[in-house]
Amino acid sequence: MSKSDSKRQVILESAYRLFRAQGFGGTSMADITTQVGGSKATLYSHFPSKEELFVECMMAALENYMSDTLKHLDASRGDPTEALRNFGASVLNFICSAEQVEVRRLLIAEAARSGTGKLFFDKITALRSQVSSFLAACMASGLLRRDDPDLAADHLGALLEAEILEPLLLHVREAAPDEKETALAARRAVAAFLRAYAPAAPAIKAASGSDAHLRRVPPHEL
Amino acid sequence: MKTKTESKRQAILQAAAVVFREVGFERASMSDIRERIGGSKATLYNYFPSKEKLFFEVMHQAKELELEAITGELDADADDLKRELVRFGQKFMTVLYSADAVAVRRLAIAESRHSDIGRLSFEQATLPIEKRVAEFMRKAMKRGNLRTADPKIAAIHLLSLLESELLQRVLLGVIDTVKPESLSGAVRRAVDVFLCGYERR
Repeated sequence: MSKSDSKRQVILESAYRLFRAQGFGGTSMADITTQVGGSKATLYSHFPSKEELFVECMMAALENYMSDTLKHLDASRGDPTEALRNFGASVLNFICSAEQVEVRRLLIAEAARSGTGKLFFDKITALRSQVSSFLAACMASGLLRRDDPDLAADHLGALLEAEILEPLLLHVREAAPDEKETALAARRAVAAFLRAYAPAAPAIKAASGSDAHLRRVPPHEL
Repeated sequence: MKTKTESKRQAILQAAAVVFREVGFERASMSDIRERIGGSKATLYNYFPSKEKLFFEVMHQAKELELEAITGELDADADDLKRELVRFGQKFMTVLYSADAVAVRRLAIAESRHSDIGRLSFEQATLPIEKRVAEFMRKAMKRGNLRTADPKIAAIHLLSLLESELLQRVLLGVIDTVKPESLSGAVRRAVDVFLCGYERR
């Protein structure tokens, strides 16, 4: 890591702590400079505005995590069931953690107020496009029926989040789900998704028995 | 203390709805609301003991009015399941993605840790809809129109799919208002995918 990169890292970490403790409105670039040390000019050379710094530090953990998690999605391996389950459970484990739920609340609270929403959305879209690429590859090889891969990625994401996220965001439940729970939610989401995006009937016949998973779901996942 | 009247209560709720929408829950003050309707602060507090309570009443009233209207659309005995779900989805999304409902939802999420409004919103809006849709699913499964599955999971899968194209955009304020045509497109696509995933084959 270069000196500049490590400085950037220190800024991101300090800003993250301050934003989480004081909110976006309650934290100034001067506060962050005081916390990090050095000059305001240095801070601005790394991040041209408070908005951009906010978005960067709120998204940094998610982007780091996702770069590993997206490795589950390897279209060259054929049957996407396992890959999607592992990917889904891994995403849920992360976004349902107490810290990430709090970050998401802060994002939603600030997005409309400070106009940072578009910046967040662009980052989320960039992550989603990697899921779309995987789904597009599955469609190209006949493992999934052809449709808009971005739409399919939205549908997959919605199904994954369906069971657990809202009660956490609304603080109806506090405890983050354990791995058993996220794995089960991911299995059910992926089962519904794969049925919905199963190739049309002739393709299923042509693919012989290997696609049975697309249509038959074991009772415990129902 | 004067007797409380329903018309006064309604006037307060309407004024409060405007203030909350304009400046948000956090920045809105009981004084702002009082200024808008006139009268004394004591009167206001006599009707609503806290800003939080008032906010919740505003939210609850707005949703309560439409809850029956939304879920009343669902008829599990109808022959055309798809038409039924599209009609319901359209109504659900129109209500949920109105400017008021979006503002309320953002606040409920943002404030959920510091107040009861997240919980109240979940218990009085989210859960009743989920239950009603799950009941529909159970009947449709019994009739053999949908494959056998956990009706509650099927319900939340449907609701989540309905929102899938718009939720992030709207919560993050990327789009302010949803055009009726993009809403009906999203509903149609979500229902198609849901039925592919849950129809008996």
